[in-house]
Amino acid sequence: MASSESTTTSTTTKVLRLKSSDNEIFGVEEKAALQSETIKSLAEDGYSEDVIPLFNVEKKTLAKIVEWLNKHASGSSKEELKRWDADFVDVDKDVLYDLLLASNYLNIEVLLHQLAQKVADMIKGKKPEEIRQLFGIKNDFTPEEEAEIRRENAWAFE
Amino acid sequence: MGAGSSSLAMEGEGGSGSSPLRPNLDDVPESCVSSIFMYLDPPEICKLAKLNKTFRGASMADFVWETKLPSNYKFLVEKVLGQSPESLSKKEIYARLCQPNCFDNGTKQVWLDKSSGKICVAVSYKALRITGIDDRRYWNHISSEESRFNTIAYLQQIWWFEVVGELDFEFPAGTYSLIFRLQLGKTSKKFGRRACNVDQVHGWDIKPVRFQLSTSNGQQASSEYYLHPQGNWGLYHVGDFVVDNTNTQMKLKFSMMQIDCTHTKGGVCLDSVLICPGEFREKLEQF
Repeated sequence: MASSESTTTSTTTKVLRLKSSDNEIFGVEEKAALQSETIKSLAEDGYSEDVIPLFNVEKKTLAKIVEWLNKHASGSSKEELKRWDADFVDVDKDVLYDLLLASNYLNIEVLLHQLAQKVADMIKGKKPEEIRQLFGIKNDFTPEEEAEIRRENAWAFE
Repeated sequence: MGAGSSSLAMEGEGGSGSSPLRPNLDDVPESCVSSIFMYLDPPEICKLAKLNKTFRGASMADFVWETKLPSNYKFLVEKVLGQSPESLSKKEIYARLCQPNCFDNGTKQVWLDKSSGKICVAVSYKALRITGIDDRRYWNHISSEESRFNTIAYLQQIWWFEVVGELDFEFPAGTYSLIFRLQLGKTSKKFGRRACNVDQVHGWDIKPVRFQLSTSNGQQASSEYYLHPQGNWGLYHVGDFVVDNTNTQMKLKFSMMQIDCTHTKGGVCLDSVLICPGEFREKLEQF
């Protein structure tokens, strides 16, 4: 059960094992993994000796997330991280979307904000209809609600 | 933020992982959308409120608007809205502060730039100390729809031209420009068209007008201009001042004078003094 067999490089490094929704297991150093508040509280709840199940994250997304966690725990310089992060979020919108949900679920604040900024940059300057199409957002308002929203926000467009 | 309620990716197996229906931001939790809004400006957020219920919900979140409000918003709410900041939602506060709100008996206005949340203040000539203002041989008060205060002062002629103003205000940190808004000539409407009478304009090309600015923390600036373009409002930049600690009141003193008594001057309209973020000055040229 114990997950410490891979700690050959350092005697104090503990590795947590994260399991994706599709049952792939990733070993991640504790220091890196705990950047996720969700993993942190699961680890505190006693999962740390075993596998930590992440029901909401598929393996292809979790692989990316693990990559991010490792990079951000690697002690890279600020400038290097900045470049690396810019590449990291430069992905198509499917991947971006999965990462956004995963970082929200895993509660990795820094990553969530990087992704949010990327989505915001994609949204900026586009018309609501274009955004609806781009991201597949359905209008779930009644005409009355739409009128109310127009009134609520009219000040911003006067 | 916490875990989202989305069930996406739960049934990731079985090929739905890359179904053509995805991606969509339809089932993104509200907290995610709020995070996106942190990086958008207020008109953009208001535009997105109409996308769907999640976006609308996020567009009303206090923590989103808190980041858009200027640091001195509590001061503004109390001063110009006359309400306690806790009684309003942050979005409501932002929206109301974007309107031109009067203070000091309607002689001053403050408003936020909608996109940036930065503060502009205008001071009507009515709040300025103007030599001879009560003497109708020199100055007239004229109603004007070209003024945000709907009234301007028109000088027929005078020897000693001096206008002095003060403002006690709490500004957010930043660099601000102070500007006088003046026009040579008197505007009138003839058959619905704007016309400008420049018959009384004289004396402004002999010596420059001196503009000055000082702050209670020791900053000073000054400039000199010959007033020239006739028939249109001109913005005369006095100088800039810097605010670096917020939540403290600053007293500004500013003036405009031409007191060379070897000649008279006249035919000028005085509207107001404008204080705005330095970077707005260029945008205002057509004001």
